[in-house]
Amino acid sequence: MAEVVLDVRSITKTFGGLKAVNDLSFVVREGEIVSLIGPNGSGKTTTFNLITGLYEPDSGDVLLKDESIAGLKPGQIYERGISRTFQMLRLFSNMSILDNVLVGMHGRTRANVIDCMLHTPRMRREEAESVARAKEILGLFPGRFPASRHSQPALSLSYANRRRLEIARALAGEPALLLLDEPVAGMNPAESLEVMRQIRDLRDMGYTILMIEHDMNVIMGASDRVIAMDHGEKIAEGAPQEVANDPAVVEAYLGKRGADTAS
Amino acid sequence: MAGTFRRVADVFGRIPRWVYIVAALVLAIVFPMLEQAGLMQTLWLRLGTRTLVYVLLAVGLNLVLGETGLLHLGYVAFFAVGAYSTAILSSPRLGIHWNFWVIIVIATVLAMLFGFVIGMPTLRLRGDYLAIVTLAFGEITRMTFNNWESVTNGPGGIPGIFPPNLFGWVVDKPAEFFYLLLASVVLVVWLLNNLKKSRVGRAWNALREDEIASHHSGVRPTQVKMLAVVLSSGIAGLAGAIFAYYQQFINPTYFLFMQSTIVVCMVVLGGMGSIPGAIVGAVVLDATPEIIRQAFTQWLPDALGSDFLPGVQTALQTDFDRYRMLIFGLVIVLMVIFRPEGLLPDQLWRREVHDEDPRDQEHTRQHLFDFEEGEKDLEV
Ligand SMILES: Nc1ncnc2c1ncn2[C@@H]1O[C@H](COP(=O)(O)OP(=O)(O)OP(=O)(O)O)[C@@H](O)[C@H]1O
Ligand SMILES: [Mg+2]
Repeated sequence: MAEVVLDVRSITKTFGGLKAVNDLSFVVREGEIVSLIGPNGSGKTTTFNLITGLYEPDSGDVLLKDESIAGLKPGQIYERGISRTFQMLRLFSNMSILDNVLVGMHGRTRANVIDCMLHTPRMRREEAESVARAKEILGLFPGRFPASRHSQPALSLSYANRRRLEIARALAGEPALLLLDEPVAGMNPAESLEVMRQIRDLRDMGYTILMIEHDMNVIMGASDRVIAMDHGEKIAEGAPQEVANDPAVVEAYLGKRGADTAS
Repeated sequence: MAGTFRRVADVFGRIPRWVYIVAALVLAIVFPMLEQAGLMQTLWLRLGTRTLVYVLLAVGLNLVLGETGLLHLGYVAFFAVGAYSTAILSSPRLGIHWNFWVIIVIATVLAMLFGFVIGMPTLRLRGDYLAIVTLAFGEITRMTFNNWESVTNGPGGIPGIFPPNLFGWVVDKPAEFFYLLLASVVLVVWLLNNLKKSRVGRAWNALREDEIASHHSGVRPTQVKMLAVVLSSGIAGLAGAIFAYYQQFINPTYFLFMQSTIVVCMVVLGGMGSIPGAIVGAVVLDATPEIIRQAFTQWLPDALGSDFLPGVQTALQTDFDRYRMLIFGLVIVLMVIFRPEGLLPDQLWRREVHDEDPRDQEHTRQHLFDFEEGEKDLEV
């Protein structure tokens, strides 16, 4: 079996009296797409925030390739290989499309202030490499970011392209694990389908992906494995079809009575 | 009307940037010569020299306010540190007369250190809190210079600052100071422009745009903010040192809170995060009131007879400083209404001349006063 990339070990996070994430454990293996599903407020985004260091778990541990990352700052976790996108888009709106991706390389580039002030040959070389790589990443979305648009501000993009740009920025970190928080939220069916294919392409290129999704077509079409959450707890895990038909999952989504009528 | 404006903007947009840069440099180099040739009153040269001090301050503050998005209201404190270091180390006050280069380095480094010390406790704060705390630090600094009589002579100030000596060239005429300042501006702007086009500059901008997203993209907010604050403090220290040499006399009233505000206005007027904008903002805001004063007390009366609006003439002659502030306020209000992105916003300046329609710039207005982040930060 493929190597475990992410190992989440019974993490818990409480806000006031609310257990947003409760004793949650799961693993993500290299080269797979795992979907995290669950009704609104079930703790999916909070799980992402715990993995990426925005919050520190009250208890439990998160391991990236056997190394504990719980308690590290977001920047450090990013440098160790976890990139993410946000449910509410968070682009650098007034910066150019290319610069958005280049910011994603900040942690891996080494030019210091003096280099940058003087544009030393070392800095220029690194910069040229970064720009080339950034263009390569933007090229993963064919036709969406033509070179003529690279210098335009991110906010000039359409909504769907902004979501794509956020993925591109996350890829700039050369992540061992890519977290996507509702990547097709707000897209029409055709756009969702295209993004779903792109996510599969990324997996085929070797990326490991954990995504939160509500869109059933995308979940069924893209995921290798699905984890369902409710009230901060894991209620089911397995192949997409299995989880979708799991009584506990149906109940979480439709309520007890809904589940009875459905069966 | 709007169409005509666009066509004009189009024409200017097609002129390559280097033409503007060369033109500005040539103008600046010729400017003091006009005075020496007797074509211009010394008054204007003195104004130009002061403007260049403001240009240094504006490009320095732009780093913090425009590029990194931190509302820093105590910027004048670093200017004061630079000026007082110079006055103390090169005047009869304590009988010290150190070399110009040593003093320039000390003034700059001291201001940077001071920026670091003030930055440590404050940079964790956001928006309004940062503004209030930096404002307070600015005032504390001035009061310290005001009360530290044994060294600074308190409100009496430090007179008789020795003119700088650069390898035998004694700088003591306004024209010479103008060129000294111009050289500093060129150097500082070159360094800052390089920074802007590097990973460091991008990190500053990313922080301004979205702190959480930048943190999740490997930018370390506190470290990167500190760098901006320290560098911009150094620039203010440098400006303060040259200012002290030029004035030959300084006292605490040169470093009132009002000065910080004026520099903030210059950055906002020019276009936040735009280096050429900061320069234009400083020139416009420093020159406009003086031009208005001259117009009403000299040119118009000369042209239309001396009884032209005598009330305005006397008011401007006796109470000019107050009216200067009024004019500042008016300019800023008009700007916020009609051109909130500033006179020369960054995107406009950095446009690629050929592959873009200037009309695309329409929707690129920066959110000038978007310092408020609280709400947005909760939703991730
Ligand atoms: N910073 C916070 N402070 C207080 N409560 C929070 C915070 N973040 C999340 N919560 C609460 O934790 C619970 C889980 O929220 P979370 O955002 O993880 O849900 P989600 O599964 O991502 O839902 P959605 O599908 O709507 O995005 C919710 O009840 C939410 O109100
Ligand atoms: Mg969510």
